[in-house]
Formats: sequence, C-alpha cells, structure tokens
Amino acid sequence: MPNGVIDIYKLRMDLMVENILICFNGPFSHSIIEEIGRAVRQYLESDEEPPSSVTDVFAVFVELAQNVQAYASGLKDCGAGRALDAGTLVIGRSGEHFTVSAGNVIRRTDMPSLSSRLDELRILDRDGLKRLYKERLRAPRAAEGGAGLGLIDAARRAAAPLAYKVSDIDEQFLFFSLTVLV
Amino acid sequence: MDDLMIDGTNSSPLVKLDASRGLAQLAGESYPENAFDFFEPIALWMRRFIAEETQPLLLELRLSYLNTSSTKCLVDILDELDEAYGKGRDVRVVWYCDKRNERARESAEEFGEDIDLPFEVVLEESAQ
Repeated sequence: MPNGVIDIYKLRMDLMVENILICFNGPFSHSIIEEIGRAVRQYLESDEEPPSSVTDVFAVFVELAQNVQAYASGLKDCGAGRALDAGTLVIGRSGEHFTVSAGNVIRRTDMPSLSSRLDELRILDRDGLKRLYKERLRAPRAAEGGAGLGLIDAARRAAAPLAYKVSDIDEQFLFFSLTVLV
Repeated sequence: MDDLMIDGTNSSPLVKLDASRGLAQLAGESYPENAFDFFEPIALWMRRFIAEETQPLLLELRLSYLNTSSTKCLVDILDELDEAYGKGRDVRVVWYCDKRNERARESAEEFGEDIDLPFEVVLEESAQ
C-alpha cells in the first residue's frame, strides 16, 4: 500500500474481470440487506430482465444474505477485531445467467451438518426439492434449525446444483462460500 | 373485536384486518428481519376472528414476494383457516398477482396446493 493509498482501480478491475456487478463486504444489518436488495432489483429491471428472473435473483439474494446475517450475529463476540461477523455478498453475471454468492466465517464444528445438507440438495431434482421444501415448511420450528428452508428455496430457483467451497482459517474457523446460478 | 392495521415498509407488507367487514388484506413484500415476530399478531387476530366472530372471512393477498420465513408463517395461518373451513366456516382466499411475473404466480398457486378452502389466484395487469 504505497503512500497509504488503497488501489481501488486494481480492486475494480479484479471485480470486472470476474463479471461482478455488485459486491459487499462487511457486517450485515437488515437495512443493508434492504438497500443492496433494492440496488440489485433496480439493476436487473433497468437491464430489462424478465420479472421472473428478477424475482429469482432477488429471492436467492435475500435468503443467502439473511442466512449469513443470522449465523454471523452469533459470532460477534467470538473474536475481537477479527471481523468474524463480516459477510461477503457478490452478484455477478455468468453468460445468460446471474450468480448470487455469499461467504462467511463458520465454526469447524458446524461444517459437517451444513455440507451434508447441501450434498443432499445437490442430488435432488425439481420434484424432489419441491417435496422436501413442503415437508420442511410444515415441520416444527425448532426441528428446522436455520438455513434449512432458505437453502432449499435457493436450490429450487437455481439453474444448476448449489456450489460451495470451504477454505481454512485456523483450528477453530473455516470460511464458507456458496454460489447459486440463477 | 378490534381491527388491526400495520403500515407497510420495504420489507414488510401493509396489513389491514377489518373484523366487521370480515376482510383481511396483506399487500407488499415480506422479508422482515424477524418474520415470526411480524406475523404473530396477524395469526392471533385470525385465531380470535374464528373463535369470536361468525361472519365470513375473505383474505385478500397482494404479496409479490415472501422470503422462506414469511412463507412458513403464512402457511401456518392458512392451515389454521383451512381447519376452520373444514369445520364449516366460510373462509376464502384471493391472491392477486402481476400477470407478467410467472414465478410470483407459481409461488402463489403453491400456497393453495395443500389446503381445501376456496383459493383463487387472480392475474392483474400490475400488482404493484
């Protein structure tokens, strides 16, 4: 960082090379989710995307963002100054489709159940996802345990199986990235 | 019994529950920070209406988007109304959708798939 200046141009070029339209990194709040959601929708509507696609991209964005917010708020007091509660949200373009991605810090101990849930969704077809969605919709609240319905809804709106990646942080935490092609 | 009115926000719908007319209306988008807190007074009002009133109930929905937590809350309400319908109450639902938005129509129709009460999806020129 020469002269204390952050090279925003380089950051911007990196985003453009990856076809990233909107990117947010930091602690989430409900009002931030509303504002980014509004920006996403305005962008898609001005681009004359069909209303169904706008709804799908917006819906996946909301579910991913609210999942990250809910999970990250539980990490707030875990690591002073380590930005554990910061999440990353990325909306990009991929050919005819859009990508909605979210990343956040997660406890290693939470990863096995999350990955098994995702792997379960990845092999289901449209009808299987609908059946599972309806089953969970009427399950008792306590049994549902966060990130359940939201991920199934995202999978139903997706044009390809949900894709995720896990990166090491330290012995206690991992970084989890999820990408939904809509 | 009392009416219940809640102003709409960016992420929560306008709510107008009119007991004397037997008309319950929800309009807007629903992805509030805490859907269970938001829908609880609405569910309580419906429960009281069924218990204390005898006139028919019409639920008019203009919900262009619901997140999954809101969907769960609304399904719980519809299941309770459906039970009342099964016991002979006059309850029906009309859901207005923007005719250009196929996905919104599909989502609305899905709400009616597992209940027996009269449930109609009406396509409008613009639901906004």
